[in-house]
Amino acid sequence: MSGTNQKQLEIAGISKRYGDTVAVQDLTFDVRAGELFGFVGRNGAGKTTTMRVVLGVLTPDAGVVRWLGEPLTFAVRRRIGYMPEARGLYPKMRLVEQLTYLGELHGMAGADARDAALRWLARFSLADRRDDELQALSLGNQQRVQLAAALVFGPDMLVLDEPFAGLDPVAVDVMADVLRERVAAGVPVIFSSHELDLVERICDRVGIIDHGRMVACGTVDELRAGGPDRLWVDVPSAPSGWADEQSGATVVRIDGSRVLLELAEGADDQAVLQAALAAGPVREFRRAEPSLVELFRDVVGDAQS
Amino acid sequence: MISPLSGDRASPWPRNAFLVARREVRLRLRSRVFAVTTVVMVVVVAGGILAASYLHAGTTSKPAGVHVAFSGGSQALEPSFRSVAAALGQSVTVTNVADPGTGQSQVLAGTLDLAVSGSATAPTGVADESLPSMVEIALDAASQDARLAAAGLAPAAIASVMADVPVQRIQPTGSSSQVLDQNVFASLLVAILLFVSIGLYGGFVAQGVVEEKATRIMEILLATIRPSELLAGKILGIGLVALLQLGIVAAAALLAGGLAREVSIPALGIVEVASYFAWFLLGFLLYAAAFAAVAALVSRQEEVQGAVTPISVLLGVSYILMFFALSNPTAAWVTLLSVVPPSAPIFMSMRIAQGVAVPWQVGLAMALMVAAIVGAVWLAGRIYANSAMRVGMRVPFLEALRG
Repeated sequence: MSGTNQKQLEIAGISKRYGDTVAVQDLTFDVRAGELFGFVGRNGAGKTTTMRVVLGVLTPDAGVVRWLGEPLTFAVRRRIGYMPEARGLYPKMRLVEQLTYLGELHGMAGADARDAALRWLARFSLADRRDDELQALSLGNQQRVQLAAALVFGPDMLVLDEPFAGLDPVAVDVMADVLRERVAAGVPVIFSSHELDLVERICDRVGIIDHGRMVACGTVDELRAGGPDRLWVDVPSAPSGWADEQSGATVVRIDGSRVLLELAEGADDQAVLQAALAAGPVREFRRAEPSLVELFRDVVGDAQS
Repeated sequence: MISPLSGDRASPWPRNAFLVARREVRLRLRSRVFAVTTVVMVVVVAGGILAASYLHAGTTSKPAGVHVAFSGGSQALEPSFRSVAAALGQSVTVTNVADPGTGQSQVLAGTLDLAVSGSATAPTGVADESLPSMVEIALDAASQDARLAAAGLAPAAIASVMADVPVQRIQPTGSSSQVLDQNVFASLLVAILLFVSIGLYGGFVAQGVVEEKATRIMEILLATIRPSELLAGKILGIGLVALLQLGIVAAAALLAGGLAREVSIPALGIVEVASYFAWFLLGFLLYAAAFAAVAALVSRQEEVQGAVTPISVLLGVSYILMFFALSNPTAAWVTLLSVVPPSAPIFMSMRIAQGVAVPWQVGLAMALMVAAIVGAVWLAGRIYANSAMRVGMRVPFLEALRG
């Protein structure tokens, strides 16, 4: 297995415009071997355009996509499992035929493709529907087939545009397991999602894109490190407003008797603790870990202003 | 395990096109559309050939088994009736009956077509209502002979009195024969079949292209294989299905021609039938490429009709003009249209069926056709690649061409 910090896929300075609309502007990031990379951003931020450029279905106006340092070729692209934002398979083709066909198009021998198709159908609990036409399935089940289509040929990389959208909780768990499993096998995975809790839970690194630019990229901890320190302090018997006069700290939010304080640059949290103790018995005093949702609001809000 | 992929891995162009083609063949052979159109074509073509041979038989050949019986004095008319009927090309079976009553009852029973009674100079007849008029004419002539003889004329004199007026039939120069002979009929059938199948299968290509855009599978396919592979595989697969269907129809046509064995139809010779296949293939490739190109410009099934209209019109105009050319297949304008690509498939196969195509014209037409196909496929590939991913608004033609 290759080193886990190796840059497997590099997106270097990609720009793409549609007429007067800038979809992606000088976008640069990388995905490493055995890494689950979450790609988040508001609707229209440029996620889908970026993925289409990676898959070669769109040609960028500028920039290059590299695989192991070399420009991505057609042969390499064929080894990428892709789930496009606009879902699409043949409505009138039977499931097992459809997946076998896609496996073969990706270079598998017929029998191997069929075995893999059956295996993935079983994995997504669709074994008993193998001879049904796709159009006979519910939308959620069609979505599972779409995922199977991206996985059937044992891809060397996965690029999935909102793979969790429209899945029931059981399918979300199966999908998350599958992605983890692929990552453990050394396959880099990049996926976009609006479900930030899920992204925070399963991703190794996160990229936040806004207005076609990468505004934050790194592990969730790294993203947190960029922001100011925050403290949750709970002093139930203290008079309300006790924290207002604290030097070096400002109140961000009040939740019952709990107060969220933001420390100024270089301020001492121990001074805050002493002030809290002076106000009354302290029941809670801990560093606040902003969730990805909060981090997202922060950076995207900043980028907007 | 990560395989360090390199760009030098040979990309299997023929294999991908083959896989795409195989999918088309499998799914289409399974579809109801294939079964229904095959049955309809077989019925129309085989039925048409059988009908044509029947029509032909009805006008010029002799339905055997017209039974005529004579009784009493009219029996003297038998020899001359026989010879006149033979001269008229009407085959008859002549018998005797004892009396007029027996004759009439046999006509009523349907075992006899005509019962003649009375004397030789004043015969009367009772006949089935479907009695061929030739039989009546033969009876009239026979009785006239008898009356003339009774009036005292010698047989030689009678012959000179009854001699035919010689009429020589010639075809005026510049006009054409009014006779709808079998070759004209066959050529019409071939031209219609070619028009229908090129339109039908070209339409399938257009629909298939739009289906892939409308269902959005295009994005997955184009992330996997090249646009040219997809286009080639689609045209190839649908073309193979078409050849299979036309093969079935041709077999039915040859079988029908064999059943109608009284007549041999030159337009259904092996070489001719092979040439129709060649012209279908050429026509299909040209029109399928054109259909695929314009279909790639739109994204929804409802828009296909509108998008392919210019191409359909081109095909339709050739088809309509063919009707005017049928009766005059050697006219200069017909020869010209049978050589230039968009109309050549229909016109040239029509002329081949009529047996008027000159080899060098066929060769030239095929060469021009191949050149046109090469151009159309190149153009279609370009337009297809540039517009295949553009879903939504119709892509302007020139924009798709430029890329």
